[in-house]
Amino acid sequence: MTVSLPQSSILIIDDFQGMRTMLRDFVKSMGVTKIDTAATSKEAINLLSTHKYDVVICDYNLGPGQNGQQILEEAKLRKYIGHASIWVMVTAEKTMDMFMGAAETKPDDYLLKPINAALLESRLQKMIAKKQSLDGIEKAVNDKDYITAITLCDQKLQEQPANLQEILRIKSDLLLTVGNHEAARALFEKILGVRKVPWAKTGLGKVYYLTRDYSRAKEIFQEVLEENKMYLEASDWLAKTLDAIGERVQAQQVLVNAMELSPNSAGRHKSLADAAYKNGDLEVAQTAYEKTIKLSEHSVHKSPDVYAKLAKVLTDKDVPDEALKILDRGRQEFKGNAEAAIQASVIESLAYQKMGQPQKAAAAIAEAEKKMADLPGMISVETAMDMAKSLFHLGKKDEACDMLQSIVKNNHENAGIISQVEAVFEGEHLGEEGRGLIKASTQEVIGINNQGVMLAREGKFDESVSLLRKAVEMLPNSEVMIMNLCGMIIGLMKKQGRNEAMMHEAKSLIDRARELNPNNKKLYDYEAALK
Amino acid sequence: MAQEDISFTDFIASSIHDMKNSLNMQISSLEKIAVKSQEQGDTPTFEQLGVMIYEANRMNANLIQLLTIYKFGKTIYPMDVAEQSVCELIEEAILQDKSIMDFKGISVSIECEEDCYWYFDRDLVTGILINALNNAYKYTSNKIRVAAKIDGRFLEIRIEDNGQGYPAGMLQNDSVSKNKGINFSSGSTGLGFYFSSRVAAMHKNGTDQGSLIIENGGLYGGGCFVVRLP
Repeated sequence: MTVSLPQSSILIIDDFQGMRTMLRDFVKSMGVTKIDTAATSKEAINLLSTHKYDVVICDYNLGPGQNGQQILEEAKLRKYIGHASIWVMVTAEKTMDMFMGAAETKPDDYLLKPINAALLESRLQKMIAKKQSLDGIEKAVNDKDYITAITLCDQKLQEQPANLQEILRIKSDLLLTVGNHEAARALFEKILGVRKVPWAKTGLGKVYYLTRDYSRAKEIFQEVLEENKMYLEASDWLAKTLDAIGERVQAQQVLVNAMELSPNSAGRHKSLADAAYKNGDLEVAQTAYEKTIKLSEHSVHKSPDVYAKLAKVLTDKDVPDEALKILDRGRQEFKGNAEAAIQASVIESLAYQKMGQPQKAAAAIAEAEKKMADLPGMISVETAMDMAKSLFHLGKKDEACDMLQSIVKNNHENAGIISQVEAVFEGEHLGEEGRGLIKASTQEVIGINNQGVMLAREGKFDESVSLLRKAVEMLPNSEVMIMNLCGMIIGLMKKQGRNEAMMHEAKSLIDRARELNPNNKKLYDYEAALK
Repeated sequence: MAQEDISFTDFIASSIHDMKNSLNMQISSLEKIAVKSQEQGDTPTFEQLGVMIYEANRMNANLIQLLTIYKFGKTIYPMDVAEQSVCELIEEAILQDKSIMDFKGISVSIECEEDCYWYFDRDLVTGILINALNNAYKYTSNKIRVAAKIDGRFLEIRIEDNGQGYPAGMLQNDSVSKNKGINFSSGSTGLGFYFSSRVAAMHKNGTDQGSLIIENGGLYGGGCFVVRLP
């Protein structure tokens, strides 16, 4: 935001007529002339979608319908507001949901009632100044140019600014985002050396989690919660850690406890549902998925995946007709999302099998296969695995095996996924044959990789690149292959000089790899090499 | 929402929310009328309105304190200790009480280094300061001083006034952590002190814990309200 307060356009959202008038009078007295007001979330969304506002002053509690946080999430999701706008949440009281929710989208500031003009003006001025000082960093983050954002943070830090802690916090988040775990750990430890602040301690725990040191991660998250059991971000990460080490019942319990303190976080309900489903606790899983759908209706958490998972739970609960209804609802909600359509068809086939209607099940799978032909490699591992199961039930063993082999090839270094594939084979009483197929698939990928590395060693980068390009085409979800190709392209450019086409290719490979696994350690090195 | 879905907490919270909206508007309207009466030179009305606004502010502060203490009991208060600018904290607390101070012609001075930062929950400590300022407003002659400095492992904030000071009975214990009991004749329920010492004690760092002390003296020789946070 580059405009001054009197020049800015302001939206006031409050369900209470008197409060709207009062807030309007306040900002008028500050010299603001462009002021709109909205009484309901619907009115607010309408205005936000058609006007650009520099400042939004929004009451958290708006009666029935969306609350202030949900409006904020929708506005961010639909890009009605950019990184430069200021969102101030007005609230009568501090609630857990507002402050300790897993919300990734946070308002710039909040104000506790009662508000007077002097206080509001003082806060708005401070926020404008803050936005201006962080503008470059926020823009870089918005453009996903994390390396530049980190450089800008370092420049700011050298100036010894008043908001030092805030910049350290932004920088540490960025280091985690780009996967520079060593630097992140050093930074968190430095901050903790001065004061044991929970965000930095939780950050250190995240570093241990991301570097797979789960026992230390667990210890740290537990310590944070012992010191401040209301610091729910640590609960969410503790649950993830427990899940990773197979302590799934405890993971579910941690989420249940967190839920008691903050019952309205869509993200947490989804984690609870996932944990409960893994534990075979279908009742809890169903309720939690339903709640996720309800809470995430207008937010970044809205995802077709939740509908599909709820349908799976319902199929497992022997109410496949309910599952079909949910899948229909999901289709309505996510029209035009091809990946979601494939996933829905796959679960549909499982539901029809449960209903004893193999023909309809086969038709659903055929539908999924047809759509997949247009969208190679873009389905999740979970959907692919469900599809293989369904194909086995339909007696299409060869197709099922192909599907599973493709999963293995795309994820040959991921032990967790390999063991899940193994479990699917076991479930079909094909344990031995399955292990053979897994081994063959893994070796095929390793073979290509080795050949690529050998060519590179001999200095034949261009041959290596074309070999790996073909491999990536065949294995579009293989993080390892994608990163190796990217490394080869960087090597080739070092030898032959840079060109735009290869720069572009390398950057899109990095983007794709980040989608698959944001914590890949090589991401940071390659991104830096492309700077 | 079905009837059984509404918990007692939600009920209290939504009622307080409603009451605070009313109070907020009431205060804002009273301030408008007050400015008008001042312009017209109607000093008695102006002063009366000052008293009304002060009482409305006190009511609001009590509502926040009650709700917060209720939440402490249920461990559902989202305590959020983070590094904050101490000057900003003090300035904002004074801004919230600015109109009543103006009505009574009380001058409030701040002594705090610009680069003084400390770790605390912003809203809770603002609550302490508002409570202290409301008290000082009642007892001061015409001056209040808010001074903050870092003293070893603690941040010390002093709110001093140039009134008569606290009565001896209130100073018997060196700490105000004990409930002073309800005294209807003086209008003191002990809520403000209870809230403030509870909040101070909730701030911990290692083995250090926050505390609240009241004493007489200070720069102006009146009442001193001293909060120390680790």
